[in-house]
Amino acid sequence: MTAPTEARSLHDSRAVFALSALLFSFATTSRPAEPANKPTFTRDVAPLVAKYCARCHGAVKPKGGIALVKDADDVAVLKNRALWEKVADNLRSGDMPPEGAKRPTAAEMEVWSRWIDVLALSSNCTGPKDPGRVTIRRLNRVEYNNTIRDLVGVKFQPAKDFPADDVGYGFDNIGDVLSLPPLLMEKYLAAAEKIVDEAFKIPELRRRLMPRDGRERGAHYQNLKQFATRAWRRPATDEETRRLMRFVQLAREQGDNPTVGVKTAFQAVLASPHFLFRVELDGQPGVLATGGSPRKTPVADAPRLPLPPVAGAPGSAEPIDQYQLASRLSYFLWSSMPDDELFKLVREKKLREPGVIAAQVKRMLRDQKARALADNFASQWLNIRSLPTFSPDPKRFPAFNAELRQDMIRETEMFFLHVLREGCSILDFLDADYTFVNERLARHYGLSGVKGVSFRKVSVAGTPRGGVLTHASILAVTSNPTRTSPVKRGKWILENILGTPPPPPPPDVDELKEDGEAKGTLRQQMEMHRKNPTCASCHQRMDPLGFGFENFDAIGAWRTKDGGQQIDAGGVLPDGSAFKGPAELRKILLQKKDLFANCLTEKLLTYALGRGMERSDRCHVEAIVRKIAKEDYKLTGLIVEIVESDPFQKRRARGAPK
Amino acid sequence: MTKRTEIDRRTVLRGLGMSVALPLLEAMQPGLLFAAPTVKAPQRIAFLYVPNGILMQDWTPAEEGANFTLPATLKPLASYRDDLLVLTGLTCDKARPNGDGPGDHARAMSAFLTGCQPRKTAGANIKVGMSADQVAAEKIGKATKFASLEIGCEGGRQAGNCDSGYSCAYSSTISWRAESSPVAKEINPRLVFERLFSADGGKSASEYKKAAYKKSLLDFVAEDAKSLKGRLGASDQRKLDEYLSGVREIEQRLLRAEKDPDVKGVPGGYRAPTGLPKDRKEHLRLLADMLVLAFQVDLTRVATFVFANEGSNRPYREIGVSDGHHDLSHHRGKTEKQEKIQKINRFHVEQLAYLLGRLKSVKEGTGTLLDNCLLAYGSGNSDGNRHNHDNLPILLMGMGGGTVKPGRHVKYPRETPVTNLWLSMLDRAGATVASLGDSTGRLKGLEG
Repeated sequence: MTAPTEARSLHDSRAVFALSALLFSFATTSRPAEPANKPTFTRDVAPLVAKYCARCHGAVKPKGGIALVKDADDVAVLKNRALWEKVADNLRSGDMPPEGAKRPTAAEMEVWSRWIDVLALSSNCTGPKDPGRVTIRRLNRVEYNNTIRDLVGVKFQPAKDFPADDVGYGFDNIGDVLSLPPLLMEKYLAAAEKIVDEAFKIPELRRRLMPRDGRERGAHYQNLKQFATRAWRRPATDEETRRLMRFVQLAREQGDNPTVGVKTAFQAVLASPHFLFRVELDGQPGVLATGGSPRKTPVADAPRLPLPPVAGAPGSAEPIDQYQLASRLSYFLWSSMPDDELFKLVREKKLREPGVIAAQVKRMLRDQKARALADNFASQWLNIRSLPTFSPDPKRFPAFNAELRQDMIRETEMFFLHVLREGCSILDFLDADYTFVNERLARHYGLSGVKGVSFRKVSVAGTPRGGVLTHASILAVTSNPTRTSPVKRGKWILENILGTPPPPPPPDVDELKEDGEAKGTLRQQMEMHRKNPTCASCHQRMDPLGFGFENFDAIGAWRTKDGGQQIDAGGVLPDGSAFKGPAELRKILLQKKDLFANCLTEKLLTYALGRGMERSDRCHVEAIVRKIAKEDYKLTGLIVEIVESDPFQKRRARGAPK
Repeated sequence: MTKRTEIDRRTVLRGLGMSVALPLLEAMQPGLLFAAPTVKAPQRIAFLYVPNGILMQDWTPAEEGANFTLPATLKPLASYRDDLLVLTGLTCDKARPNGDGPGDHARAMSAFLTGCQPRKTAGANIKVGMSADQVAAEKIGKATKFASLEIGCEGGRQAGNCDSGYSCAYSSTISWRAESSPVAKEINPRLVFERLFSADGGKSASEYKKAAYKKSLLDFVAEDAKSLKGRLGASDQRKLDEYLSGVREIEQRLLRAEKDPDVKGVPGGYRAPTGLPKDRKEHLRLLADMLVLAFQVDLTRVATFVFANEGSNRPYREIGVSDGHHDLSHHRGKTEKQEKIQKINRFHVEQLAYLLGRLKSVKEGTGTLLDNCLLAYGSGNSDGNRHNHDNLPILLMGMGGGTVKPGRHVKYPRETPVTNLWLSMLDRAGATVASLGDSTGRLKGLEG
């Protein structure tokens, strides 16, 4: 999420929402809305700087050479934006004021945060933009499996028993979060051995690894170089290949068949950091000077390993080399390594020629491997990866079983792939007159005329369903085991559809009574609770959205009554728009298409880059959304725009300031 | 509980039963001398974690000292009353917001063994501190095949946000190898078993040869990692450090196997578990078996065992609780919910009793394996409804080689850091350090 999201988490909800009666505008970076009581630097922030920072960062001998007392007003601060953004980051991360020093109170932090938002909102998007810099990414489990599948051709899933990859920013492919505990290193070594053993057992795969016959050194050398080049997704150098050949020599010394050495060399390729990590090295000196236009840069080739590290010129943004770009593309769309066609384009230095990458995106999305976008992106964006562990109370929901759970996941996957492959608009996610069901799921939905286990596209026109918000998968993951949770559903929509997550509940506030044990319906109880001003501001945003879907029970089946009482699925959003049920609520959401497009773009960009959104990404996101709005918000168009955007094509040079 | 897993565990239990009948150390491990009276047995420490706090009214004994009665939740430990200490009054201050706002679950788990305030971030630059178990692993881990063992029932979370802006790593990881390196746990008992008893060494020529290849492979990849590291930025370098320390650990294991090529056999013909049981009781007990095996054969002396991740909302249908654990922990004083929470608390304690039973059934020297262990059991949340982090529910079990006098309820002054207990455990495991996180000294009164 964008930086202001983090800021909001520091907010005390009362203050934030008392301040902003605007429904969504506050939360998102790209819609400049002026909160009524806009903080200014001179009045609100300068006193805090004096109180907490000036002792070290004063005018005389400031620590780290950073003086914070020079800028007197908003204008001065804006001229010095980079510095103040750093101040904001340090403040938010808690790095400053340092340990032991007096820290701002919650109320003061709240003022700071609001002011930071103002600062961010007022930044303009002209001039050079920071493309960001991702931390080196370890292959996650899915990427490891897919890469081995495409590289070696073995059928089993070697990463099945690897420890789960941690999730950051909602996704499990985030460089910063993907750690490598010793246990995993053990598994990598064991997997490499198993993969190579397996491949050598199957003649066809063995030929693939060792296309050149013969026991000559030359053949081994070429085979190893070719394998390492594909495995490491860039040309293996001669020096690297010579090092791999040492294993063949070792086999000789041990009196073994050279094959033993070759097999060990293959294992070494798979256990090397060049395989396990997606390495992106900084370019060579001289590249930075010409850094602007990607097509002119001479950086397209493999990283030349013996070169010393290079730090970029301040403010420089380098295009990544073409091998790295091909990997970014293939891991984004396929969760796997580039294929021969991509490698060929890179070798011919054509990947950055006009129109090539867009054509490649279209080709790659048609490929079966693009299912990975549904399996890995959509399932995490929509949170349905949590569905396999969702276990509703069998007494209350006897219809739920493992098959139905699988069907639910399948429906959402197929829907996503349809939008992706058939050139549909992302607005179909919010409302569509079709979906995908088999007989079992159709029965669950009360749709007739669908027979058999296979899925097909059906019309849902005239039914209460339409778009992913009425998919059983999503209705279920936003429920508790025994009942629906309008709060969770509302929060889910704010987080994943509108991109305006509510701040977490303030500490020491009890959760709502939602269990139907007290008097009145769930709705009545919650309305009682919303009278509490502490809770009201956020729950006014979450609850109506959730209640709009109350006609769907905890496993997504339609119902008209809850606990014997008629369900009222109407409501009013804080912006005043009223609705009578899910269909009308969907129409309202459809009108917030900019918010949705912004949200989905941020999510896709996060996934594509493997890093969280930074403040500087706001401009990139805005530009992408502007472009896709002109193209009917097509999902393919969105993906092409992301691939062609600076954060995807470039990276901030090492040592360059943000 | 499926029939199949039941049979699996019975097979397993038969295995353990045999090990009781034929005391392992004398019968099967002539190379190990703990049984000889002159050699001091190794001291093991383990940290066991349960999430979402405890219903404290059914946990804390009314009386202090040796004459205490076990409250309802601790009743399953009746047979082990004299093997345990109930410690009350300990605090995990760094689990508190301290200005960071909500996120008590993420903080409770990551601060529990580190005594450090986790940095609030959803991804970039996660940071907390080194955990007590990893301090021990670093100090005494070289003596055994595995420096430490990390097991638990739940892996990392697969989607969505975990807790109020904290990365999921915080609420699913109790072990931190370094301030930014969470240590993943193994959840599949079969895989734990295979890992523990995989042969790294051996005396035959082919085994030596295999080790030679493996060593040269490790040299190769370490060389790659080192040369790559030099060309990367700071946060990238951290990742390569993790890689290198993994490689180093495996290298050390190979070296150790070379010096002591006797492959440690599986005690008493214990059979490998077949997989990942759905039933939580089965799952916890199989993992407990693995812990006992690892300690028994001295494959490691340090372990963490996470019964469920912090904030876990798993229902416990095994014991008739259909609501999610986390939802229930916010019981708001409601009797019906409190009863269910207590059932879950007690269920966990029953599995703890099983573990103690296993440890006690293994003879070591003139006593039992439990005598040479110190096991801490508890949560970084006290009352799950209030999310408070003082007066934590903590049990300490075992004798620490006779340095601890169990069978008492000890009350400590308010705000005594729980890290003081970890320091005292580390001392007894031979892993003395000056301080840990927010510790203020050693915990007094464990000796009686």
